[in-house]
Amino acid sequence: MLFNKRTERIFFWVFFPLALLMPLFLADNTFFVSKLTSIMIFALFVMSLDYLVGRCGLITLGHAMFYGLGGYLFWMIAPEYEAVNFWVYTFYICMIAAGVALVIGFLVLRTSGIYMIMITLAFAQMAFYFFSDSIDFGGTDGLFIYVKPETSIFGLSFFDLDNPTHFYYLCLLSLFNTLVFFRVLIRSRFGRVVDAIHENPGRTTALGYNIFIFRLMSYVIASALGAYAGYLFTLQYGFVNPSMLAWTTSGSALVMSILGGMGSIYGAILGTFVYEGLHYVLEHLTEHWMLFMGALIITMVMVFKNGIAGYLEKLLEKRA
Amino acid sequence: MTTSLFLVQLINGLQYGLLLFLIASGLTLVFGVMGILNLAHGSMYMVGAYLVWYFVEHTGSFGLSALISAVIALLIGILMERTLIRQLYRRNHLDQVLLTIGMIFVFNALQGLLWGNDPLGVAVPAALSSAIPVTDVLEYPVYRIFVALLCVGIAAVMYFMINKTRLGMLIRAGESNREMVECLGIDIRKLYTIVFAIGVMLAAVAGVAAAPMSSIVPGMGEHILITCFVVVVIGGMGSIKGAFIAALLVGLVDTFASVLVPQLSSMMIYILMAFILLIKPQGLFSS
Amino acid sequence: MNTQVSLDLQVMLETQGLCKYWGGLKALDDLSLQFFDKQLHGIVGPNGAGKSTLLNLLCGHYKPTRGSILHKGEAIESIKPWAFARRGIGRSFQKTNIYPGATCLENCCVAVQRRMGGNFNFLRSRYTQKVLDEIATEALEKVGLGARRDVVASRISYGEQRQLEIAMVLATAPEVLLLDEPMAGMGHEESQLIIELLKKLRREYCIVLVEHDMDAVFELSDQLTVMVDGQHLTTGSVDQVRDDPRVKEAYLGQGDEVF
Repeated sequence: MLFNKRTERIFFWVFFPLALLMPLFLADNTFFVSKLTSIMIFALFVMSLDYLVGRCGLITLGHAMFYGLGGYLFWMIAPEYEAVNFWVYTFYICMIAAGVALVIGFLVLRTSGIYMIMITLAFAQMAFYFFSDSIDFGGTDGLFIYVKPETSIFGLSFFDLDNPTHFYYLCLLSLFNTLVFFRVLIRSRFGRVVDAIHENPGRTTALGYNIFIFRLMSYVIASALGAYAGYLFTLQYGFVNPSMLAWTTSGSALVMSILGGMGSIYGAILGTFVYEGLHYVLEHLTEHWMLFMGALIITMVMVFKNGIAGYLEKLLEKRA
Repeated sequence: MTTSLFLVQLINGLQYGLLLFLIASGLTLVFGVMGILNLAHGSMYMVGAYLVWYFVEHTGSFGLSALISAVIALLIGILMERTLIRQLYRRNHLDQVLLTIGMIFVFNALQGLLWGNDPLGVAVPAALSSAIPVTDVLEYPVYRIFVALLCVGIAAVMYFMINKTRLGMLIRAGESNREMVECLGIDIRKLYTIVFAIGVMLAAVAGVAAAPMSSIVPGMGEHILITCFVVVVIGGMGSIKGAFIAALLVGLVDTFASVLVPQLSSMMIYILMAFILLIKPQGLFSS
Repeated sequence: MNTQVSLDLQVMLETQGLCKYWGGLKALDDLSLQFFDKQLHGIVGPNGAGKSTLLNLLCGHYKPTRGSILHKGEAIESIKPWAFARRGIGRSFQKTNIYPGATCLENCCVAVQRRMGGNFNFLRSRYTQKVLDEIATEALEKVGLGARRDVVASRISYGEQRQLEIAMVLATAPEVLLLDEPMAGMGHEESQLIIELLKKLRREYCIVLVEHDMDAVFELSDQLTVMVDGQHLTTGSVDQVRDDPRVKEAYLGQGDEVF
C-alpha cells in the first residue's frame, strides 16, 4: 500500500477524483480552470520544497531560484518560433537544473541551520538580480514564450497546450505523478537513509553513511522538480519574469508547506490550495485582504501545531 | 575615482552601514537572547517611518514626532511579545517563520489601510537641513551626518548597557545559555519582553531617522529586512559586535559597488555573504 | 606499558603518540595503546581523564592534533568519520543516540542496510528486503530486545534503549566495538544483562570499553588501562592494575571511592 496514513489515503481519494471531474463542472469557465491549473503548478513546487525541508531537514530560502530557472532555461534552449516537444524539453530542463543544483548543493550543503537558510537565500538573490538587471534576459519585465511546445509521443499527440482544459489535465497528471514519485521515494531504501539523516545525522554518520551524498541527491531531485514546476508555469501564460526567483516566492511556498503540514508531501497540496483559495476569496471580499490573511496565518500557527495535515491526522487518530 | 567622490562614497557607505547596524542590532539581539528569528523586524522599520510621517503632519515638529514614534514602537513591541512572540519559545524555527510572516501581512495591510500606498515624504528638520563643505566643490548634508552620529551614539549606549549594566549581564548570560538563566529564577519573561521591545524599537528608530532621507513606500520593510539578514549572518547570529562590523562592511561594499560595478551592484552583498560563509560558515563573530 | 595477553592475537587498533589539544587544554597527551582482537580492553579513570575523547578519536569523530591511529596496521587518523564505521569500527554512545521516532527493528535496519547495499535505490521499498529484517532481528535478539522489535524506540525503557544502542552497533557487523559507558544510568539487573552480553561478545570482537562501573570493568576486562588528566597512567591485567599504588592514589586522591 502506497499510503501509510489514513488521512493521506482519504486526501488522495477525495482530491484526485474531484480534480479529475472539475473541468466538467466548470465547462465554459476557462478562468477558473486556468486558476486551478496555476494553483496545481505551484502546489508541485511546494511539494518539492516540502520534501527538501520537511523530509530531509534541509531548510532553504532559495528554492524559488530553480522555479525561475525552469522558465528561463526553456526560453534559453527552445527555438523562438518553433514548437518543440514538451516531453523532450522536460527532460532537458530537469537535467540542466539538476546539474546546476549539483554545483550549488555542493557549496551550500556544507552549512547547516540558519546559515544554510542564508546562503541559499544569497544564491537565489544573486540569480534574481542577475535576471532582473540584465537586458539580455528581459530585465524586470521578463521574457515571452511565443510558441508553446507540442506534446506528441511517437506521433500521437495528447495535449494541446493552448487549450486550458488540456493544460489543466497535463498539470493534474504531473501533480499525481509527483505525489506518487515522492511516496515511492520515501518508502524506498534511499528514503530510509534520508529519514535517518533527518532524525539523527550524528548517528547516521556513525553507522557509516556519507550523509553529504544523500543530502546532495535529495537537493538535486527536489531542485529538478522545482524547475519542472517553473517550466509549467512559464508555459501556462507564455512568459517568465524575475519575480519567480524572488525570495518572497520561496517564502510563500514555505508558508503553504508549513500550513499544510511540513513533511507530509500531500500536505503541500492541501496547504497550497487552502492558501490560494483563501487568498482568492479574501481578495474579492475586501481590499485589505492581507489583514485577514495574516490573522489567519497567525491563528493557524497557534492552532494547527503540525499544519492542517497534522491536525487532520490527530483528529482521525482520536476517532480510531 | 576622484578623491572627493571617494570621500563622499566613503561617508555614504559608513552612514548607510551605521543605519543598517541600528536595524540589524535589534534583530541579532532578539535572536541571540531569545532564539527568535523575527521576520517582521523589517516591518517595524516601516512602522517607524510611517509613524514619524504621521506625527510630523500633525505636530510639525520632527523631534517630538520622533520621540512619540519611538515610544509607540516600544509599546507595540511589548504588545507583540506578550501576545504572539511568547507562544514561539517552545516551537521550532519554521513556526517562527510562519508566524512572523503572518505578522508582516498584518503590518502591510494596516499600512495600506491607515496610510495608503502612495509614496510619502518627511522633510528634513530645519535645524539640520544645511550642508557642510567637504571639499571646495562638494557639500555633505548635515542631516546624514547627524544620523550617522545618532547611530554611533546608540551603539555606544548599547555597548555600555550590555557590558556595564545588570540588564546587559542578563542579556549576555541569556545569549550563551538560555536555560541556565531560566533556572536562576530570574524572571526570564520580563527580560524577554524588554529585549524584544528594545529590538523592535531600534528598528523603528532607524525608520524614523531614514524617513527624511528617502521616500516612504510600501515594501520598504521587506527590502531592508533582507539586507539586515545579510548583515546579521555575516556578523554572526547573536553577535552585536559582529553586526556592527558586518553592517559597516555591507554599507561600504554596497555603496562602492553601485559606483564601481553598477551591473553587479545589487548582487554584491550576496556575493560577499556567500564568500564569507564559505570560509567562515558561522559568520565573522559567532557567539 | 603494554602486556600482551597472548602473543598470537591480532592488533586491531593501535594509537601511537596520540594527542588531542583544545587550544591550551590537553585532553589527551601522548597516548600509545594497543587493542587486540577477541579481547575486551577496559578504559577507566576519573572524570576528565580523556576517556570519551579517546573513543571520539578512535571512531573518527575527532581528528587528532598529533599522533596516529592504526587499524590493522594502516594509518586511518585522517579519513572521514563515516569511513571509520565502514572499516568495521563501531561505536555506541554515552548519551543514547538512536532514532527515537522509529521502531527498534527499523533502528537496526538502518544499521544493517549500510552494508547490504541498495542505499541509492529509489524504487525498491524498504520493507521488501526480508534478509535485512532478519539480520536486524538477529541483532536485537542478541542483546535481548527481540520482544520489543516492533515498539517505537522512544517508548522503550532507558535500559532497553541502551541495549538498542548496542544492537545497532552489532547490526553493522563490526570488527571493533567502541562502547562508551553502555551501562550508564542502569540499575543492577539491567547492568547484569549487559555484562553477560559483553562476556559473550568479547570472544568475538575487539572491544574497547569505557565504564565507570568498576565491578563490571573488573569482571569483563582482559586488559585494563587507567587514564588520568589525559595521560596514560598504566595498562595491564585487572590484578596488576588493581594492585598498582599509583592507581589507588589517582582515584583516592581525586576523592572517588573505588576500591
